[in-house]
Amino acid sequence: MNRKHLEWRKIDNSGKIFPISTGKKYSTVFRLSAILTKNISKRNLEKAVNIALQKYKSFKVRMKMGFFWYYFEHNSKEPIIRKEKTYPCKYINPRTNNNYLFKVTYFKNKINLDIFHSLADGNSASIFFKEIIYTYLELVHSKDFPEDIRVTKKVEDYTMEDSYAINYDKKAKSNNSSQKAYIIRGKKIGLGAISAIHQIINFEQLQKVCKKHNATVTQYLSALLIYSIYTQNYINNKDEKPIKLCIPVDLRKFYQSKTLSNFFSYITLEAYMKDLKSFDDILAFVKKDFKKRLTREELNKTMSGNAKILLNPIIRVIPLFLKKLIVRISYTQIRKYTTMTYSNIGRVGIIGDYQKYIDYFAMLIAPEPVEKIKCSSCTLGNNLVFTFTSILNDNKIEKAFYQFLINQGIEVKVESNGVLDDISKKN
Amino acid sequence: MIYPKKISAKKTEKLLKYLILLSVAIAILLVIINKLTTPKIHWAAICNAGIIYAWITVMYSINKNINIAGHVMIQTIALSLLALYVDYALGNKGWALNIAIPIAIIIANTTMFFLTIVSSRRYIRYAIYQLIILIFSILPIIFIYEGMVKNIMLSYTAIGISFANFIITMLLSANDVKDEIVRKFHL
Repeated sequence: MNRKHLEWRKIDNSGKIFPISTGKKYSTVFRLSAILTKNISKRNLEKAVNIALQKYKSFKVRMKMGFFWYYFEHNSKEPIIRKEKTYPCKYINPRTNNNYLFKVTYFKNKINLDIFHSLADGNSASIFFKEIIYTYLELVHSKDFPEDIRVTKKVEDYTMEDSYAINYDKKAKSNNSSQKAYIIRGKKIGLGAISAIHQIINFEQLQKVCKKHNATVTQYLSALLIYSIYTQNYINNKDEKPIKLCIPVDLRKFYQSKTLSNFFSYITLEAYMKDLKSFDDILAFVKKDFKKRLTREELNKTMSGNAKILLNPIIRVIPLFLKKLIVRISYTQIRKYTTMTYSNIGRVGIIGDYQKYIDYFAMLIAPEPVEKIKCSSCTLGNNLVFTFTSILNDNKIEKAFYQFLINQGIEVKVESNGVLDDISKKN
Repeated sequence: MIYPKKISAKKTEKLLKYLILLSVAIAILLVIINKLTTPKIHWAAICNAGIIYAWITVMYSINKNINIAGHVMIQTIALSLLALYVDYALGNKGWALNIAIPIAIIIANTTMFFLTIVSSRRYIRYAIYQLIILIFSILPIIFIYEGMVKNIMLSYTAIGISFANFIITMLLSANDVKDEIVRKFHL
């Protein structure tokens, strides 16, 4: 009997951990949003998503449970496109949305892609998201795009290889710090609400200020984040633990990988605040720590340390339900090693002809009970959109961050989902 | 404004919670009425077993990820357990083991057989459920061996049909079953 072979694939080494540890409180979901110049047509968006899925089949999957690990299986259904109704980056129940591990929603002139981290990292998700946006714009403005004018990479140029398994170093020693981090304190918002505050920063002005300090944009904004945490939360609590800022790093830039699966590592800036009192002190420390940690050798140590755990034969043969139990218990402790995560996916490369239809892009990461605030940024044209997603019931850190930039003479506009409203009123 | 003003609560989830609470309240009420009116006959326990069975079916049906073979499997197991309990509550006459469970197994295997034939392209999605049903179908052997079954003909018929179904589906779909085992047990 001739039966169609059902495609499936293992989840990459980094992605494996997410379905085991995830839940309603730890969604491990991030969002990419594109704010277009005109309101969204649902019908065209549905078409665009399905066309993009035909090209990027690695996203056309559902997650299934094996005895030892979860795995991805081809999903023959179509995803459901809905109007945005809930908070960003909420847990994606794999049994909803026709079993897809991402959700495409829209609101007025905005398109969102909420994506479960097991499926992709920021880099590969943005490739898929841009494909949706390009296709959508081609459908809506068919006269402007009569032919396929895109000369971006072809789908065939990408792979689904597990780049961790290929590139990790068995002999590399772990560089994980044993020092727990300062945890941001304060009352939580409650009722599952997530605050999203976007600070749309004038990129040219920001770059000028960064140049003055001989720092990169990521270094400058990282320093400003540490400074804002220090002045608004840390100083009142007289804690001696360091402020630890976790910065994800795309490993494709360091290894010759074209994978669409997860392939990222991170560096953790460990700021002991005893000697760092002013912003200039913190920036000098951040620059030095970046230089020390952002090297292929250091990243390899972090990546290999994590890969070795999941490739360990003993870990591999533990049944999935036991793995879940162990990981969930240990994760409450593991998470105490980071104060905050800041992910900068950098410039979103959009082809010139399409840019006129897009105002800006934004990225959002799900906050968690321990890491109550997470930050992310991306740049399109002259807009760097810095986003705070938070479950903390005050926005002092966000305000301090905003005020500091304004004081430097940098223009900043604010958009928010209104959960913590008063910073928006400043605008 | 790039976000909706009103964020909707998860209505379905809330509704389910209320319905579960209502079921628990009804179950407690039934037990109280049972105790007050006819304490020697435990009819409330049978009703409550029915409520649990109904909830298993509802929760399973809400879960859209489960395919039809999954429903066959869960219904076979849930109905068998319900029959066992009702039999026990009504004086342990043995009709659950002698009649109800073998019939459930026969129906389940016949359904799975037709599913395999009718939608052979989807068989790979049924394979794991087929295997679980087969394991469940072996139970009457244990019941016969332990002397728990008086009317062995129906049990033997059920076991025979299960094995026949297994052999036929293996002949038709051995590779699919192998693929499914590889993916479910990959390291």
